[in-house]
Amino acid sequence: MSQYGDIYGGGGGFLQGGSPYSASGSPSGGRNKEASHSLRPLTVAQLLKATQAHADAEWTVDEAEIGQVTIVGQVVTIQSQTTNCVYWIDDGTGRIEARHWVDSTSEEDSAKWGGIEETKYVRVTGTLKTFGNKRYINATHIRGATDPHELYFHILEAITITLMVDRGSSSAASASGAAASAYTSPQAVSSAPDEYSHLPPLQQKIIRFISAQPRSDEGVHVSSIARATGTQGDAEKISDALDKLMDEGLVYSTIDDSHFNLST
Amino acid sequence: MSDLSTRVNSARLPDYVGKTVRLACKPLQRSADLVTVQAADGGEVMVQLLRDVDIDASSYIEVVGKVMDATTVKMMSVIHLGPDLDMKLVNDTIELIHDPRFYTRMFT
Repeated sequence: MSQYGDIYGGGGGFLQGGSPYSASGSPSGGRNKEASHSLRPLTVAQLLKATQAHADAEWTVDEAEIGQVTIVGQVVTIQSQTTNCVYWIDDGTGRIEARHWVDSTSEEDSAKWGGIEETKYVRVTGTLKTFGNKRYINATHIRGATDPHELYFHILEAITITLMVDRGSSSAASASGAAASAYTSPQAVSSAPDEYSHLPPLQQKIIRFISAQPRSDEGVHVSSIARATGTQGDAEKISDALDKLMDEGLVYSTIDDSHFNLST
Repeated sequence: MSDLSTRVNSARLPDYVGKTVRLACKPLQRSADLVTVQAADGGEVMVQLLRDVDIDASSYIEVVGKVMDATTVKMMSVIHLGPDLDMKLVNDTIELIHDPRFYTRMFT
Protein backbone atom coordinates (compact mmCIF):
# COMPACT_ATOMS: atom_id res chain seq x y z
CA MET A 1 0.00 0.00 0.00
CA SER A 2 2.88 2.34 0.61
CA GLN A 3 3.48 2.45 -3.09
CA TYR A 4 0.01 3.90 -3.59
CA GLY A 5 0.82 6.49 -1.02
CA ASP A 6 3.80 7.53 -3.05
CA ILE A 7 1.88 7.75 -6.27
CA TYR A 8 -1.29 9.40 -5.09
CA GLY A 9 0.03 11.31 -2.13
CA GLY A 10 2.36 13.48 -4.14
CA GLY A 11 5.33 15.11 -2.52
CA GLY A 12 3.52 16.55 0.45
CA GLY A 13 2.77 13.30 2.18
CA PHE A 14 -0.93 13.99 1.99
CA LEU A 15 -2.38 10.54 1.77
CA GLN A 16 -5.75 10.25 0.21
CA GLY A 17 -8.40 9.59 2.84
CA GLY A 18 -9.60 6.36 1.38
CA SER A 19 -6.37 4.46 0.94
CA PRO A 20 -5.22 4.09 4.51
CA TYR A 21 -8.68 3.07 5.60
CA SER A 22 -9.18 0.40 3.05
CA ALA A 23 -5.65 -0.81 3.59
CA SER A 24 -6.34 -1.37 7.25
CA GLY A 25 -9.15 -3.63 6.21
CA SER A 26 -12.26 -1.92 7.43
CA PRO A 27 -15.32 -4.17 7.38
CA SER A 28 -16.73 -2.66 4.25
CA GLY A 29 -13.23 -2.53 2.80
CA GLY A 30 -14.16 -4.32 -0.39
CA ARG A 31 -16.30 -1.53 -1.76
CA ASN A 32 -14.39 1.33 -0.20
CA LYS A 33 -11.19 0.18 -1.73
CA GLU A 34 -12.74 -0.08 -5.12
CA ALA A 35 -14.16 3.44 -4.91
CA SER A 36 -11.05 5.02 -3.46
CA HIS A 37 -8.90 3.62 -6.25
CA SER A 38 -11.29 4.70 -8.94
CA LEU A 39 -10.97 7.88 -10.95
CA ARG A 40 -14.18 9.68 -11.79
CA PRO A 41 -14.59 12.56 -14.24
CA LEU A 42 -16.79 15.25 -12.72
CA THR A 43 -17.81 18.86 -13.16
CA VAL A 44 -16.85 21.44 -10.54
CA ALA A 45 -20.56 21.86 -9.74
CA GLN A 46 -20.72 18.18 -8.88
CA LEU A 47 -17.68 18.53 -6.62
CA LEU A 48 -19.24 21.52 -4.87
CA LYS A 49 -22.41 19.49 -4.34
CA ALA A 50 -20.59 16.41 -3.09
CA THR A 51 -21.46 15.44 0.46
CA GLN A 52 -19.68 13.79 3.32
CA ALA A 53 -21.41 12.07 6.24
CA HIS A 54 -18.74 13.31 8.67
CA ALA A 55 -15.27 14.83 8.45
CA ASP A 56 -13.46 11.53 7.87
CA ALA A 57 -16.07 9.92 5.68
CA GLU A 58 -15.73 9.29 1.99
CA TRP A 59 -17.10 11.94 -0.33
CA THR A 60 -20.20 10.97 -2.21
CA VAL A 61 -21.80 12.32 -5.37
CA ASP A 62 -25.41 11.26 -5.88
CA GLU A 63 -24.86 8.77 -3.07
CA ALA A 64 -22.01 7.06 -4.90
CA GLU A 65 -18.59 7.16 -3.27
CA ILE A 66 -15.88 8.96 -5.17
CA GLY A 67 -12.17 8.29 -4.89
CA GLN A 68 -9.86 10.16 -7.20
CA VAL A 69 -11.51 12.82 -9.30
CA THR A 70 -10.56 14.51 -12.54
CA ILE A 71 -11.81 17.83 -13.90
CA VAL A 72 -11.07 19.94 -16.95
CA GLY A 73 -11.28 23.69 -16.59
CA GLN A 74 -9.67 27.03 -17.15
CA VAL A 75 -6.92 28.24 -14.83
CA VAL A 76 -8.10 31.57 -13.43
CA THR A 77 -5.22 32.39 -11.11
CA ILE A 78 -2.03 30.75 -9.96
CA GLN A 79 -0.52 31.52 -6.56
CA SER A 80 2.84 30.00 -6.04
CA GLN A 81 3.88 29.55 -2.42
CA THR A 82 6.88 27.91 -0.84
CA THR A 83 5.27 24.61 0.00
CA ASN A 84 2.37 24.54 -2.37
CA CYS A 85 0.88 26.05 -5.43
CA VAL A 86 -2.77 27.07 -5.60
CA TYR A 87 -4.66 27.10 -8.89
CA TRP A 88 -8.19 28.45 -9.18
CA ILE A 89 -9.97 26.33 -11.74
CA ASP A 90 -13.18 27.45 -13.47
CA ASP A 91 -14.98 24.98 -15.69
CA GLY A 92 -18.07 27.10 -16.30
CA THR A 93 -20.11 25.25 -13.67
CA GLY A 94 -18.25 26.70 -10.70
CA ARG A 95 -14.81 27.41 -9.31
CA ILE A 96 -12.61 25.30 -7.12
CA GLU A 97 -9.06 25.51 -5.85
CA ALA A 98 -6.54 22.90 -6.84
CA ARG A 99 -3.55 22.67 -4.52
CA HIS A 100 -0.35 21.05 -5.48
CA TRP A 101 2.25 20.41 -2.81
CA VAL A 102 5.61 21.38 -4.16
CA ASP A 103 8.62 19.14 -3.80
CA SER A 104 11.36 21.71 -4.21
CA THR A 105 14.07 19.06 -4.18
CA SER A 106 12.82 17.48 -7.36
CA GLU A 107 13.74 19.09 -10.65
CA GLU A 108 11.46 16.78 -12.49
CA ASP A 109 8.61 18.33 -10.58
CA SER A 110 9.22 21.86 -11.73
CA ALA A 111 9.46 20.67 -15.29
CA LYS A 112 6.17 18.85 -14.95
CA TRP A 113 4.25 21.72 -13.38
CA GLY A 114 5.98 24.61 -15.07
CA GLY A 115 3.85 24.68 -18.19
CA ILE A 116 0.60 25.63 -16.49
CA GLU A 117 -0.46 29.16 -17.38
CA GLU A 118 -3.36 31.39 -16.45
CA THR A 119 -6.37 31.37 -18.82
CA LYS A 120 -5.31 28.02 -20.29
CA TYR A 121 -7.41 24.89 -20.04
CA VAL A 122 -5.98 22.16 -17.84
CA ARG A 123 -6.87 18.71 -16.61
CA VAL A 124 -6.55 18.29 -12.87
CA THR A 125 -6.50 14.93 -11.14
CA GLY A 126 -6.53 14.45 -7.39
CA THR A 127 -8.75 14.01 -4.38
CA LEU A 128 -11.39 16.25 -2.88
CA LYS A 129 -10.43 17.82 0.47
CA THR A 130 -11.68 20.51 2.79
CA PHE A 131 -9.78 23.13 4.70
CA GLY A 132 -12.01 25.06 7.04
CA ASN A 133 -15.13 25.60 5.04
CA LYS A 134 -13.36 25.59 1.74
CA ARG A 135 -13.22 22.70 -0.66
CA TYR A 136 -10.19 22.10 -2.76
CA ILE A 137 -8.64 19.39 -4.88
CA ASN A 138 -5.44 17.97 -3.54
CA ALA A 139 -3.90 17.69 -6.97
CA THR A 140 -1.63 14.80 -7.82
CA HIS A 141 -1.46 15.82 -11.43
CA ILE A 142 -2.13 18.93 -13.48
CA ARG A 143 -1.41 19.22 -17.15
CA GLY A 144 -2.41 21.51 -19.95
CA ALA A 145 -5.34 20.42 -22.10
CA THR A 146 -3.97 21.54 -25.43
CA ASP A 147 -6.63 19.96 -27.61
CA PRO A 148 -9.90 21.89 -27.14
CA HIS A 149 -11.86 18.70 -27.72
CA GLU A 150 -10.61 17.37 -24.40
CA LEU A 151 -12.91 19.81 -22.63
CA TYR A 152 -15.97 18.60 -24.52
CA PHE A 153 -14.87 15.01 -24.17
CA HIS A 154 -14.64 15.54 -20.45
CA ILE A 155 -18.17 16.98 -20.21
CA LEU A 156 -19.57 14.07 -22.18
CA GLU A 157 -17.57 11.58 -20.15
CA ALA A 158 -18.83 13.11 -16.91
CA ILE A 159 -22.41 12.78 -18.17
CA THR A 160 -21.79 9.20 -19.26
CA ILE A 161 -20.32 8.20 -15.93
CA THR A 162 -23.12 9.92 -14.02
CA LEU A 163 -25.65 7.94 -16.02
CA MET A 164 -23.61 4.78 -15.55
CA VAL A 165 -23.50 5.28 -11.79
CA ASP A 166 -27.28 5.78 -11.81
CA ARG A 167 -28.04 2.76 -13.88
CA GLY A 168 -25.14 0.61 -12.83
CA SER A 169 -26.16 0.75 -9.19
CA SER A 170 -29.49 -0.83 -10.00
CA SER A 171 -27.88 -3.59 -12.04
CA ALA A 172 -25.34 -4.16 -9.28
CA ALA A 173 -28.20 -4.55 -6.84
CA SER A 174 -29.88 -7.12 -9.03
CA ALA A 175 -26.61 -9.01 -9.44
CA SER A 176 -25.97 -9.23 -5.73
CA GLY A 177 -29.57 -10.20 -5.07
CA ALA A 178 -29.52 -12.69 -7.89
CA ALA A 179 -31.52 -15.34 -6.10
CA ALA A 180 -34.32 -12.97 -5.28
CA SER A 181 -34.35 -11.23 -8.61
CA ALA A 182 -37.18 -11.48 -11.05
CA TYR A 183 -34.89 -12.78 -13.73
CA THR A 184 -35.62 -16.38 -14.53
CA SER A 185 -32.73 -17.21 -16.75
CA PRO A 186 -29.44 -17.53 -14.91
CA GLN A 187 -27.35 -15.96 -17.65
CA ALA A 188 -29.39 -12.76 -17.47
CA VAL A 189 -28.07 -12.04 -14.00
CA SER A 190 -24.55 -13.14 -14.71
CA SER A 191 -21.86 -10.62 -13.92
CA ALA A 192 -21.52 -9.45 -17.49
CA PRO A 193 -20.13 -5.94 -17.48
CA ASP A 194 -22.34 -3.06 -18.47
CA GLU A 195 -20.13 -2.30 -21.43
CA TYR A 196 -22.25 -4.76 -23.39
CA SER A 197 -25.57 -3.13 -22.58
CA HIS A 198 -25.54 -1.21 -25.85
CA LEU A 199 -25.70 -4.43 -27.89
CA PRO A 200 -28.92 -5.90 -29.25
CA PRO A 201 -30.52 -8.38 -26.84
CA LEU A 202 -29.45 -11.55 -28.66
CA GLN A 203 -25.81 -10.44 -28.87
CA GLN A 204 -25.93 -9.53 -25.18
CA LYS A 205 -27.32 -12.96 -24.36
CA ILE A 206 -24.53 -14.63 -26.30
CA ILE A 207 -21.82 -12.59 -24.56
CA ARG A 208 -23.36 -13.17 -21.17
CA PHE A 209 -23.69 -16.88 -21.80
CA ILE A 210 -20.10 -17.28 -22.95
CA SER A 211 -18.75 -15.23 -20.06
CA ALA A 212 -20.74 -17.38 -17.63
CA GLN A 213 -19.04 -20.55 -18.90
CA PRO A 214 -15.81 -21.86 -17.42
CA ARG A 215 -12.85 -20.36 -19.24
CA SER A 216 -11.25 -22.61 -21.82
CA ASP A 217 -9.10 -22.10 -24.88
CA GLU A 218 -11.54 -24.07 -26.92
CA GLY A 219 -14.40 -21.73 -26.17
CA VAL A 220 -18.07 -22.58 -26.46
CA HIS A 221 -19.76 -24.59 -29.20
CA VAL A 222 -22.38 -22.84 -31.24
CA SER A 223 -24.98 -25.46 -30.37
CA SER A 224 -24.63 -24.67 -26.65
CA ILE A 225 -25.01 -21.00 -27.45
CA ALA A 226 -28.12 -21.73 -29.50
CA ARG A 227 -29.59 -23.80 -26.69
CA ALA A 228 -28.81 -21.19 -24.05
CA THR A 229 -30.19 -18.30 -26.02
CA GLY A 230 -33.25 -20.17 -27.18
CA THR A 231 -32.51 -19.76 -30.85
CA GLN A 232 -32.34 -23.42 -31.84
CA GLY A 233 -33.66 -23.96 -35.30
CA ASP A 234 -32.84 -20.42 -36.29
CA ALA A 235 -29.25 -20.92 -37.31
CA GLU A 236 -29.24 -17.85 -39.49
CA LYS A 237 -30.17 -15.53 -36.65
CA ILE A 238 -27.47 -16.82 -34.35
CA SER A 239 -24.75 -16.88 -36.98
CA ASP A 240 -25.76 -13.34 -37.89
CA ALA A 241 -25.39 -12.22 -34.28
CA LEU A 242 -22.06 -14.03 -33.95
CA ASP A 243 -20.81 -12.43 -37.16
CA LYS A 244 -21.66 -8.99 -35.80
CA LEU A 245 -19.93 -9.75 -32.52
CA MET A 246 -16.85 -10.89 -34.41
CA ASP A 247 -16.95 -7.74 -36.53
CA GLU A 248 -16.92 -5.71 -33.34
CA GLY A 249 -14.03 -7.79 -32.07
CA LEU A 250 -15.89 -8.92 -28.97
CA VAL A 251 -15.91 -12.59 -29.90
CA TYR A 252 -13.58 -14.76 -31.97
CA SER A 253 -13.77 -18.27 -33.33
CA THR A 254 -11.32 -20.74 -31.80
CA ILE A 255 -10.48 -24.27 -33.01
CA ASP A 256 -12.99 -24.21 -35.84
CA ASP A 257 -15.88 -22.15 -37.14
CA SER A 258 -18.35 -23.40 -34.56
CA HIS A 259 -16.44 -22.67 -31.35
CA PHE A 260 -16.40 -19.16 -29.95
CA ASN A 261 -14.71 -17.33 -27.14
CA LEU A 262 -14.77 -13.82 -25.68
CA SER A 263 -11.96 -11.52 -26.68
CA THR A 264 -11.62 -9.99 -23.24
CA MET B 1 -24.19 30.97 -8.15
CA SER B 2 -22.12 33.94 -9.26
CA ASP B 3 -19.23 31.86 -10.61
CA LEU B 4 -21.41 30.29 -13.24
CA SER B 5 -20.48 30.75 -16.89
CA THR B 6 -22.70 28.34 -18.76
CA ARG B 7 -21.75 27.07 -22.20
CA VAL B 8 -24.25 28.25 -24.79
CA ASN B 9 -24.96 28.39 -28.50
CA SER B 10 -26.83 31.22 -30.20
CA ALA B 11 -30.25 29.65 -29.62
CA ARG B 12 -29.69 29.56 -25.84
CA LEU B 13 -28.55 33.19 -25.57
CA PRO B 14 -32.01 34.73 -24.98
CA ASP B 15 -32.33 32.63 -21.81
CA TYR B 16 -29.12 34.12 -20.40
CA VAL B 17 -29.55 37.88 -20.82
CA GLY B 18 -27.72 39.59 -17.97
CA LYS B 19 -25.73 36.46 -17.13
CA THR B 20 -22.23 35.27 -17.85
CA VAL B 21 -21.79 32.63 -20.53
CA ARG B 22 -19.11 30.80 -22.46
CA LEU B 23 -19.59 30.95 -26.18
CA ALA B 24 -17.43 28.73 -28.35
CA CYS B 25 -17.46 30.29 -31.80
CA LYS B 26 -15.67 31.12 -35.02
CA PRO B 27 -14.90 34.78 -35.79
CA LEU B 28 -16.42 35.87 -39.10
CA GLN B 29 -16.02 39.60 -39.43
CA ARG B 30 -14.29 42.15 -37.31
CA SER B 31 -14.69 45.89 -36.94
CA ALA B 32 -12.91 48.12 -34.43
CA ASP B 33 -14.66 46.99 -31.29
CA LEU B 34 -17.14 44.43 -32.54
CA VAL B 35 -16.74 40.99 -34.00
CA THR B 36 -19.41 38.88 -35.64
CA VAL B 37 -19.01 35.25 -34.72
CA GLN B 38 -20.68 32.01 -35.63
CA ALA B 39 -21.82 30.02 -32.60
CA ALA B 40 -21.77 26.24 -32.36
CA ASP B 41 -25.31 25.93 -33.73
CA GLY B 42 -24.45 28.06 -36.76
CA GLY B 43 -26.22 31.21 -35.53
CA GLU B 44 -24.46 34.56 -35.68
CA VAL B 45 -23.72 36.54 -32.55
CA MET B 46 -22.20 40.00 -32.07
CA VAL B 47 -19.37 40.17 -29.58
CA GLN B 48 -18.32 43.52 -28.10
CA LEU B 49 -14.58 43.25 -27.79
CA LEU B 50 -12.39 44.10 -24.88
CA ARG B 51 -10.04 46.91 -25.65
CA ASP B 52 -6.77 45.87 -27.33
CA VAL B 53 -7.75 42.25 -27.48
CA ASP B 54 -6.18 40.17 -30.18
CA ILE B 55 -8.45 37.87 -32.13
CA ASP B 56 -6.85 35.39 -34.46
CA ALA B 57 -9.35 35.12 -37.31
CA SER B 58 -8.27 31.62 -38.27
CA SER B 59 -8.74 30.23 -34.77
CA TYR B 60 -11.85 29.11 -32.96
CA ILE B 61 -12.35 31.07 -29.77
CA GLU B 62 -14.26 30.75 -26.55
CA VAL B 63 -15.67 34.07 -25.42
CA VAL B 64 -16.46 34.45 -21.75
CA GLY B 65 -18.83 37.36 -21.43
CA LYS B 66 -22.04 38.92 -20.30
CA VAL B 67 -25.13 38.55 -22.45
CA MET B 68 -26.39 42.06 -23.29
CA ASP B 69 -29.36 41.01 -25.43
CA ALA B 70 -30.41 37.95 -27.42
CA THR B 71 -27.71 38.43 -30.04
CA THR B 72 -24.97 40.38 -28.25
CA VAL B 73 -22.29 39.32 -25.80
CA LYS B 74 -19.90 41.69 -24.06
CA MET B 75 -16.52 40.02 -23.82
CA MET B 76 -14.84 39.62 -20.44
CA SER B 77 -12.10 37.31 -21.62
CA VAL B 78 -11.25 35.15 -24.57
CA ILE B 79 -9.51 31.82 -25.00
CA HIS B 80 -8.07 30.72 -28.32
CA LEU B 81 -9.01 27.14 -29.05
CA GLY B 82 -6.92 26.64 -32.17
CA PRO B 83 -7.80 26.08 -35.83
CA ASP B 84 -9.48 22.68 -35.40
CA LEU B 85 -12.71 22.30 -33.50
CA ASP B 86 -15.60 20.00 -34.25
CA MET B 87 -18.49 22.44 -33.86
CA LYS B 88 -21.10 19.72 -34.18
CA LEU B 89 -19.58 17.97 -31.20
CA VAL B 90 -19.50 21.27 -29.32
CA ASN B 91 -23.15 21.94 -30.12
CA ASP B 92 -24.23 18.43 -29.18
CA THR B 93 -22.38 18.82 -25.90
CA ILE B 94 -24.06 22.19 -25.25
CA GLU B 95 -27.47 20.68 -25.87
CA LEU B 96 -26.70 17.86 -23.42
CA ILE B 97 -25.53 20.38 -20.82
CA HIS B 98 -28.95 22.05 -21.10
CA ASP B 99 -30.79 18.75 -21.00
CA PRO B 100 -33.00 18.92 -17.89
CA ARG B 101 -31.70 15.52 -16.82
CA PHE B 102 -28.22 16.98 -16.31
CA TYR B 103 -28.46 20.77 -16.17
CA THR B 104 -29.26 21.44 -12.52
CA ARG B 105 -27.57 18.31 -11.33
CA MET B 106 -24.19 18.65 -13.01
CA PHE B 107 -23.82 22.10 -14.53
CA THR B 108 -25.16 24.64 -12.06
